[in-house]
Amino acid sequence: YAFRSLHLINDRKVQEVKGPDDKPVKNSDHYGALIHHLSLVRNKRCLMAYVYNRAEVIRSLRWVVENVLPEDIANKLSDAEKDYFKNHSATLQSYIADLDLGLTVDMVPPKDPYIKVRVLDEIGNVALSNQFTNLARHAILFLRRTDAEPYISQGLMEELTS
Amino acid sequence: MAKYYDIDDILAEDELVPAIFKVAANEVGLIDSSDDTNKVESGSKVELPFWLASELHLRQAVSVGFPRCFNKRTQEEIKADAAHVDLRNRCPYFYELGCKIVLLTGDKSIGPVLLVAFMTRYKEVLIKAHTTSLTVAPKSLTLLTNEETKLYEAARSSTAAMKKWRMGGPRLQKASVLGRKRKPVQ
Repeated sequence: YAFRSLHLINDRKVQEVKGPDDKPVKNSDHYGALIHHLSLVRNKRCLMAYVYNRAEVIRSLRWVVENVLPEDIANKLSDAEKDYFKNHSATLQSYIADLDLGLTVDMVPPKDPYIKVRVLDEIGNVALSNQFTNLARHAILFLRRTDAEPYISQGLMEELTS
Repeated sequence: MAKYYDIDDILAEDELVPAIFKVAANEVGLIDSSDDTNKVESGSKVELPFWLASELHLRQAVSVGFPRCFNKRTQEEIKADAAHVDLRNRCPYFYELGCKIVLLTGDKSIGPVLLVAFMTRYKEVLIKAHTTSLTVAPKSLTLLTNEETKLYEAARSSTAAMKKWRMGGPRLQKASVLGRKRKPVQ
């Protein structure tokens, strides 16, 4: 809205500049208005780029956190961005369902169906694909890779290689 | 159009270049703060950000000169020892700005300078990136322009990935998007 009002002021100035023959005269008012206009366009570009780059980060977030945004990130997003995340997530999910192929698993090529993990944050009882487990802090477990992957990418678990 | 949203391009165009106004402009006294009137007189020399200078140049309202980072002194230093010239201090977007200025003024002399500088420095960048250990950050990093720093980081991360592949560390990792711990919003 601020842009529109600034543009209107600018337009009015440019109109005053027309000479007696009603042909536009390029005097110093014209150039002043031109510089203001260019500044507005520049500001617009900066804002657009900011929003665009944020949207890109939000899109890439979906591949990591599935459906639910972690709280500390959700705090920093505007309402429009939260809607964007929801819609993007839903679209991706329907695409995945159509393909019948889990696209967000195995982001790194797998070597082993099972891996050893250490739980970093208290998660509690969860239902994994073949068992109910209590994911207590500091517990070292042998889980199926596809189960552990979302927790690892959110930083709630870490993979142990020894 | 791909450059519209590119943050590096936006920042590169923010660099100042000297320009001489060929016409007068009202209500823009911010640009020329030497006198008190709210306007810029024809013939006055100011430093404008590149995006403004470029547009005005195309409309024949200013004539754009070479920014300070391309002056004789820098060119001499590059000829002497390109690898150690502190380009970041002069102009962190040295190469990008150079390319854009050439398009605007049609002065061909700057092309070879950029090329020579880049070739010598690129060699240095690659050598340093592949041989230094991960914890030591050489002082020469502070001399690199933005573009060179990106190349350096890319080379470093690929060396690190290679070492990791050979040694076999944990492959699944926390996603980089989630990054550092954040403080909650008050």
